[in-house]
Formats: sequence, C-alpha cells, structure tokens
Amino acid sequence: MKRYELLKQLARLVTAEDLVVTSIGGVKPEWYSLMPSNGTMFADLLGCATPFALGVALNLPHRRVVALDTDGGVLFNLGALCTVGKELPPNLTIIVLDNERYEGVVGGPPTHTSGRVDLERIAEGSGIPCTATVREIENFFEAATQMLSDGQVGLIVAKIEPGLFKDIPPERAKESDGIEDKYRFMRHIEKLEKISIRPRYALE
Amino acid sequence: MESRLAALVIEGLKRAHVRFVVGLPDSMLAGVYVAAEKDPEIRYVAVTNEAEGASVAAGTWITGGRSVLVMENSGLRAACEALARLGLVNGVPVTMLMGYRGDLGERFHWGVNHGMTMEPILKALRIPYWIIDREEQIVPAIGRAVVHGISSLYHTAVVFRTPLVDEGK
Repeated sequence: MKRYELLKQLARLVTAEDLVVTSIGGVKPEWYSLMPSNGTMFADLLGCATPFALGVALNLPHRRVVALDTDGGVLFNLGALCTVGKELPPNLTIIVLDNERYEGVVGGPPTHTSGRVDLERIAEGSGIPCTATVREIENFFEAATQMLSDGQVGLIVAKIEPGLFKDIPPERAKESDGIEDKYRFMRHIEKLEKISIRPRYALE
Repeated sequence: MESRLAALVIEGLKRAHVRFVVGLPDSMLAGVYVAAEKDPEIRYVAVTNEAEGASVAAGTWITGGRSVLVMENSGLRAACEALARLGLVNGVPVTMLMGYRGDLGERFHWGVNHGMTMEPILKALRIPYWIIDREEQIVPAIGRAVVHGISSLYHTAVVFRTPLVDEGK
C-alpha cells in the first residue's frame, strides 16, 4: 500500500468540516496536494502530531480530528498515546503511516517497527479502545470509515511502502512555510468556529 | 485546603480566559495542579513529558482554547525541541508557568542544575519571562504572559521563586 493511495482514500472521508494535523515527512506534500480545505495544521515537529491533534480534539469536541502521524513520530513520543488513552477524546482518530523507516534520512534507516515493535499493541496497552493494523488499501478505507464515525478514539497502524509520490501537479505543490501554514489553519478555524483567536489588540 | 498560591494562579488564569492547564506535576507548584484539576471551568490535561505537553497546549491554543503549560523548570529542557519548532517554525505560542528550582539557596543537590540552565535556555529561545516572588505579582504576571503570547505569537513564561513556592522538605 502506497501512502499517496492511502491519502487519496482518506481525502474521500475527510470533509471541509474536519481538522487534520500532520507530522513531518513525505505525508506533508502528498496530503497538501489532496486536502479538501485549509483545515490541516502542518506541524513541523517529530512526535507532535498526535499530542497536537489531542489538544485540537479536546478544545473542539464537536469536530472530527485526524492525526496523520508516522512510525518515527509515534516512537519519538510514545507517552502521547498514554495521554490519549487517559483523555479518550471521542472525536480523535490517529492514523500512523508506518513505513518502518526514517524515510527522510539518507539511506532510509529502519525504525523499531521494522522489527518486533507493534504500535497497535502499544496503543491497546495505552487504553485506546479501537485499534487496527492494515496492509491493504481496502482494509484501510474500511477501518478509517468506521473509526471516523464510531464516536470513540481510534488508532490505525497503516503499513505502507516507502517512497514519495513524484507526480504532484505543480499547481498543487506545497510551497508554504510553517508560519503561512499556521495562519491558514488559524484563520480557517476562526471562520469555521466564528471566533477570534488572535484579535488585533490582545486585551488582558 | 487550596493554597494561596494555587488560588491566585487559578484567578490569574481565569482573568486571562485560560481554559486548559496542561501539566507534569512538580513539588513547587503542587497545589496548582490539584486546583486546576478540581476547577470546573478549567480542563486539566496531565501529560507524560513536557515536550508532549507543549504540543498539547499548542493544539488547544491554535484552535481558540487558551492554555498554559505548568511544570518544573527542568521541564524546559525536556520541552526544548518542541518549543523551538512550535515557536520558531510555526509561530504557535505556549505560555509556561514554572517553579524556580535551583534558585540561590537551593537545598537539594539535584535541583541546582535546573537553576543553572533555566535562564540561559529561556534567553537562547528568546522567550520573554517574568520571575516573580510576591503574591501581588501572580495575577498580573499570568495576564501579561498570556496577552504577550497572543500579540507576539511566541512563547512566554512566568517563573515562581521563593517565598511563593514550596521548596519541599
């Protein structure tokens, strides 16, 4: 299963009303080219996609929130799964794109999931009630469809092949930096929720 | 019974419209975690390390839920990479409240190093901070730190020193 194919399926399920938080890595340009709105926060930090998405989910419990995390990202901050298991935000779905390697590093050295480490079992042991490991695109679509609609926190470990999608059309290529990404997301939330997050004058 | 420190911190948080307290417990601000967890207007989120805490706090903040990260000042070291990326790359602020472990007069050998590194790290990350030691500073310090986070879109910190904090026995 290739990541881009998986993300295409996810884009069918995620609506303009939903919010997504991504990890660093190949997922960023690929999801950017497919996403339906500015409702994605492209976080630029290994290990922060899931806890950042947890914060979003806790603050906006009426919105579905998807964390697009990676094997390297989850391993970097395993405690975050325990916090998710403690808080149990019903509107959060975590998708771990597990290619069993640090793909952005020269040579793509293996992560621990290439061996005996099983992130689904760790998630189960962290108290996350709904978990799955999928290897085929049909199984991913089925699991994601269920977890996005079942009203409880879930985690899918999606075993994907390594490799970046190389044919993103130039007009859909991601050229923005982290600051622009933040403003787009923040202004999107302000419109969506009809709130002011950063007023012109911040009053005490 | 809620400590005077905890009561004033909660008052400061409410005046600043803070709805989320993200924390990893420590002794100096022990009463604050308990008070935050008990308060019906505040959502307390316990985390497993301060880097994770910074990310959770950033996630609530950027979606309109003002938050603070409460921790020992050693947590600043644990949170460094998260703070650097969230602040310098994305510009999403995290306001931190921390006890000044390792301040002059520290009685615990293991705490001395916290004091040696805290201010250099805050300065290296260009985080504005206010070290307070009087009760009347608590509410305004929290308010100013939260407001500065909004206007600068960058992290801020309030550091509580003796005699405000319980140094432990």
